[in-house]
Amino acid sequence: MVLKASASFRESLPGQFVMVRMTDSNAPFLSRPFSIYSVRSRGGDTFVEILYKVVGKGTDIFSRLREGDAMNVLGPLGRGFDVPSTCKKIVLIAGGVGVAPLSFLAERCEKEISGAEIICYMGAGSSKALAGLDRIEGICSVVKISTDDGSRGHPGLVTEFFGHDMELYADNDSRIYSCGPTQMLRSLHKLLKDRPVACQVSLEERMACGIGACLGCVVKTKSDGLVRVCKEGPVFDINSVDFS
Amino acid sequence: MKLKMGVDIGGLTLKNPVMTASGTFGYGEEYSDYLDLNRLGAIIVKGLSLEPRDGNQPPRIIETASGMLNAVGLQNVGVRAFIDDKLPWLRGIDSAIIANIFGETIEDYVKVAEILNDAEGVAALEVNISCPNVKRGGITFGSDPALAGEVTRAVKDVSHLPVIVKLTPNVTDITQIARVVEAAGADVLSLINTITGMSVDIEKRVPHLENVTGGLSGPAIKPVALRMVWEVVNAVSIPVIGVGGIMNARDALEFLIVGAKAVQVGTANFLNPGVTADIIDDMEKYMSEKGIGDINDLIGTLKI
Ligand SMILES: Cc1cc2nc3c(=O)[nH]c(=O)nc-3n(C[C@H](O)[C@H](O)[C@H](O)COP(=O)(O)OP(=O)(O)OC[C@H]3O[C@@H](n4cnc5c(N)ncnc54)[C@H](O)[C@@H]3O)c2cc1C
Ligand SMILES: Cc1cc2nc3c(=O)[nH]c(=O)nc-3n(C[C@H](O)[C@H](O)[C@H](O)COP(=O)(O)O)c2cc1C
Ligand code: FES
Repeated sequence: MVLKASASFRESLPGQFVMVRMTDSNAPFLSRPFSIYSVRSRGGDTFVEILYKVVGKGTDIFSRLREGDAMNVLGPLGRGFDVPSTCKKIVLIAGGVGVAPLSFLAERCEKEISGAEIICYMGAGSSKALAGLDRIEGICSVVKISTDDGSRGHPGLVTEFFGHDMELYADNDSRIYSCGPTQMLRSLHKLLKDRPVACQVSLEERMACGIGACLGCVVKTKSDGLVRVCKEGPVFDINSVDFS
Repeated sequence: MKLKMGVDIGGLTLKNPVMTASGTFGYGEEYSDYLDLNRLGAIIVKGLSLEPRDGNQPPRIIETASGMLNAVGLQNVGVRAFIDDKLPWLRGIDSAIIANIFGETIEDYVKVAEILNDAEGVAALEVNISCPNVKRGGITFGSDPALAGEVTRAVKDVSHLPVIVKLTPNVTDITQIARVVEAAGADVLSLINTITGMSVDIEKRVPHLENVTGGLSGPAIKPVALRMVWEVVNAVSIPVIGVGGIMNARDALEFLIVGAKAVQVGTANFLNPGVTADIIDDMEKYMSEKGIGDINDLIGTLKI
């Protein structure tokens, strides 16, 4: 979905998100959070793109919209990924539509970090659920695909696939970024535990306000207790999150 | 025509009757990018307790038909950190700053009220009595007339500020509690707090909220809130503030017409962080259209 938005979105950072809802309807009632997939400027206008999967009431309503329908878009919100100024290997681990913020990040890294190799591990339930694959293939040097049902690429979980290769990225010159279902991030956390690698993840939690006011979106961290995903996140260092 | 929007409630003068409801507006600063906070009649901050509180484990919110359930569990920075870290910034805002307070014992309420006596920049206290009393087997202060009266009197005895008591709708007769709280010395009443509710995930057969139950807010509760405000206005002689499901100026005007002197906007702030400014603008438009020069001439004009 592409949303025409205010010029302030040009400053968006990969990992930041938007809250969207219908302008003239209370269905769905609360705004829904989505990662920013891309931001483009054309003819003085700014367009924010999101990549979403229909999972329930709100996303079902969004999927029936037609060109020109009005939505309220709040953002860019939250803390984005830290992008290093130099780095040899950027490793992206995407689960399903978790590819959205990583694709935006890959675009940024390709532009801003010269000589970095960008590698993506992309997993989904089946080959049909590999939305966003074409774009990220166009940016990354390598995209390694896995599907749970084996319909394309490596059969099995994306974290298993990454786990086989992990030793390749065990040095100071690699950065790992991931976004996907909590279960996947938990597995990744287990794999990387006690390893000195830099890894940031984008988390999801139900949200009401998206701006830090309602305290509805908290997640457990190891040293700071419950913190807001919308404000202190959605991007966190993987080791700061309490996945237990 | 220059409209008069100001209202006086229990010793507190507001530039207009639109306030933000506790727990839905953070400590004010979260909204400063989205509206001019100086326009608001009052800002009521997130409920404050004697010590900081972590609140409940997630998930804490779930959408329901025309509303939401929350079980945030009164997470807050604690009254001292509020005074040190949040209040200095709020002092720069030209609207009434109201501290919402709560406790688990009467002594807690009293201590928080005492600490706030010395805090420059706080215009009034709003006492949230929708909390369990840990010393009395967890019964909610606000659902027991004797306890509601006791906590009101205890806070009134120590506080130098106007005291608003915020009533819970989770009672059989809200007018009974309202009368007791008035007799105990409350300067103002605000109502309603959230209505206790529940929601279940039928796939997993678990409650959607980790806390099992939560507080319902949003348009779903507006008719109930309006009915209760109307009943309470007719039962007491102190000013009443209407809260519950206000999404726009039309909703706010309904509360004023039944007799509320002011309104609080809660959940609507989540959907549109600038909604309170729109509500003030649209209220003024309504008054101009109807030829009403003073908002006080509209309050309590319900014809039955
Ligand atoms: C910071 C952030 C970024 C996100 N980015 C994307 C994105 O780029 N693309 C995308 O498709 N989705 C993204 N999500 C998830 C998306 O917000 C939810 O899928 C959406 O809100 C579901 O709305 P619904 O009304 O269709 O589902 P509902 O009917 O509300 O629920 C259906 C199912 O979705 C789950 N769900 C509901 N809300 C959330 C939520 N906030 N986070 C995770 N799961 C949820 C429920 O547990 C339930 O299983 C993001 C969430 C966050 C917090
Ligand atoms: C997320 C959330 C947190 C709240 N926290 C508080 C609180 O700390 N103290 C309080 O007195 N009321 C609290 N409330 C209740 C609101 O102030 C208000 O009474 C209620 O939500 C009804 O109004 P609304 O329908 O406009 O939201 C909270 C409500 C919500 C939705
Ligand atoms: S969604 Fe309201 S605090 Fe994060």
